[in-house]
Amino acid sequence: MAGKTEDIIDRYLEAVAAQLSPETRDDITAELRELILSRLDEKEEALGRAPTGAEVEAVLREIGHPLGVAARYRPGPDSLIGPELFPWWLYGVKAGLLVLGAIHVLSLVITLVSGPRDAGQAIAQAFHSFFGAGLTLIGVLTLAGAIMEHYRIRPRWMTEWRARDLPAFGLSDPLTWGVTAREAMKADDRTGQAWKTSPIRPVRVGGSSPAGEAVFSLLAIGLFVMWWLGLLAFPGLEAMTLGGEAATITAAPIWSALFVPILLYALGQMGVELFTLTNPDAVRLRAVLRIAVAVAGLWLTWTIFQAGHWFTLGADGETARVVGDRALLTIDRIRTLGDGPRDVAGIATTLSVVFTWVAAISAVSMVWSIFANAWRAVRP
Amino acid sequence: MWRLGAIALSADDELFESMRLELRRGSLVLAVLACLRTERYGYTLRQALAADGLEMEESTLYPLLRRLEAQGLLLSEWREEEKRKKRFYVLSPLGLSLLDRLTTEWRAINGSLDRLL
Repeated sequence: MAGKTEDIIDRYLEAVAAQLSPETRDDITAELRELILSRLDEKEEALGRAPTGAEVEAVLREIGHPLGVAARYRPGPDSLIGPELFPWWLYGVKAGLLVLGAIHVLSLVITLVSGPRDAGQAIAQAFHSFFGAGLTLIGVLTLAGAIMEHYRIRPRWMTEWRARDLPAFGLSDPLTWGVTAREAMKADDRTGQAWKTSPIRPVRVGGSSPAGEAVFSLLAIGLFVMWWLGLLAFPGLEAMTLGGEAATITAAPIWSALFVPILLYALGQMGVELFTLTNPDAVRLRAVLRIAVAVAGLWLTWTIFQAGHWFTLGADGETARVVGDRALLTIDRIRTLGDGPRDVAGIATTLSVVFTWVAAISAVSMVWSIFANAWRAVRP
Repeated sequence: MWRLGAIALSADDELFESMRLELRRGSLVLAVLACLRTERYGYTLRQALAADGLEMEESTLYPLLRRLEAQGLLLSEWREEEKRKKRFYVLSPLGLSLLDRLTTEWRAINGSLDRLL
């Protein structure tokens, strides 16, 4: 056989061999070589002469590209994410991108409403941040999916799913966010469309479905943790203006002092949500874990409240403190909210009232969570 | 109009081809096992299958042979023939018994389909 033909075959087999494991490489390429030579013998007989280089390559193309040929010999999954996992991956990507998009749109609206110096820059920054976060999300989900596919990992929440957890999957359709199936049915009844749409009902996200709440919380807290660690930026929180002047919000020392406890608190919450997803029947243990999280949250809220100074607002050379104060927890303060002057000090006072009330309501909801979960933990 | 007709026909052909391949896929393993009652190497096995109307791509046949061997249904041996080393395959005892059972199953499916068709 001509040297040129041998070169072409060698190059082809080397490309196949490079994709195979060292244990099987020699055996498979020897068999493929024999196949190629048999095919060329057949060709030579039909032509009555030795095949040219182009004809040899045509035979190799018929056998297949080295990557495709080698892939057929490879044991294990032949796709990064197989047909069983793909719908889960797609749901994660859709829901995650929608939540990210909603957060970025909200953040952008805040920036634009507060009168940015450069709206174009704010929009560009929001797009940049969204694409960065979106690509990271897709990358992380693909990596997780590939690992699950490779090691055949199928968590219990994939195989032992319950009908009452299915509303969580409405997260991938923003039209159904916050809508209950019953509400949707009522709306259809009013418009006389119920009979047309009866097979497909919008489903509710969250509500009484523990898994639905867990998925939503995981996404939301995950985004918070990424922002807290500086891995994610929301332009609206960074660039603000006040009365046409650039405004700055400086965090008080309490936030840096509590950086690690707040991070641990958020991670602890994510841990409880993951536990909810993986152990949907461990109701009592979940209640105990939620009590622990609520107690930690109460301690954090109390510590932050006690610190008093939360932020410093600065604009046009003026600064004013945003503070937490028990004296702000009166109905009169709520009634007169926004009536004060529109200068830096006035806005700081308004923010102080809002944040103090938010802290108080959070504390009440945590106390409620402790009692409600204590009941779940002990009830027969 | 002619153009539309041509596109529709091509789509039909494509659909038929994909369904035909799906229909054949399940029967190819049976065909390979049946052909290897007699010892053969990859190239002659492919020719034997083609002679009986079952064309099979090399990139499908060769990995299938290795899989069947790994499952214990085939035995293989490297031997020199016509001045070249070739890998010969033949059914193992396990392969023979499995072929018998699969043949019975195939005939039952074939009978059912014949009645339906």
